[in-house]
Amino acid sequence: MLPLSLLNAAQNKPMLVELKNGETFNGHLVNCDNFMNITLREVYQTSAEGDRFWKLKECYIRGSTIKYLRVPDQLLDVVKDEQNRAREAGRGPRGGGTGGRGGRGMSQRGGRGAARGGPMRGARGRGRGI
Amino acid sequence: MADRGRGGAGRGAGLRGGAPSARGGKSSAPSMDKPKREAILDLAKYQNERIRVKFTGGREVTGVLKGFDQLLNLVLDDVEEQLHSESGPSTRQLGLVVLRGPTITLLSPVDGFEEIANPFLAQEA
Repeated sequence: MLPLSLLNAAQNKPMLVELKNGETFNGHLVNCDNFMNITLREVYQTSAEGDRFWKLKECYIRGSTIKYLRVPDQLLDVVKDEQNRAREAGRGPRGGGTGGRGGRGMSQRGGRGAARGGPMRGARGRGRGI
Repeated sequence: MADRGRGGAGRGAGLRGGAPSARGGKSSAPSMDKPKREAILDLAKYQNERIRVKFTGGREVTGVLKGFDQLLNLVLDDVEEQLHSESGPSTRQLGLVVLRGPTITLLSPVDGFEEIANPFLAQEA
């Protein structure tokens, strides 16, 4: 579960962003990039002291100024499902070679193997590319 | 010519330095779900529109967007700085200004920007 994949999956979801200076922004994520620069829409800005509030139609926030982002809890399940599906899809074409190893989550290493599917997939992909 | 090319690359690297996650550079980008090559903010839609910009350090200005580049350097006209001094808020006029991209932390259109009462109290009640 990579931070930026979670953020990518949070597009069009509501979130809270707190900046290093303490200001917070509540809004829906429009877009983000690998620097964690983000654009939000329908934003409520709160001052660092928490005593003043502003409404903004949209805003752009520089990633390096962000302290943290709060995203919906359900997002975790969505991303996990997506990762599982992606792994299944990636497995299909070379099922002949690796099929004997058993289905997902049933590898010899136990349940943990399933959770580690992401990195494993990456390693395989690289291997194939060479 | 060569110097100019190197200068451009250097500046690009400086911008990249803004986010620690990007240290991997190009090689790490394709492994992401969606490598974003193009800017996530289309500044062209704000052309000749008044925008509000905040900087690292807390300074804040509004101005009419006249130009921009990929590094988020901006040209604003009729710039007015909002000062937050002990004696209360005030402004000062700066005229035509070039804003340095890497120091910009927040950017939003002035249109649709307004101070409001606490919007979260209503939700809790």
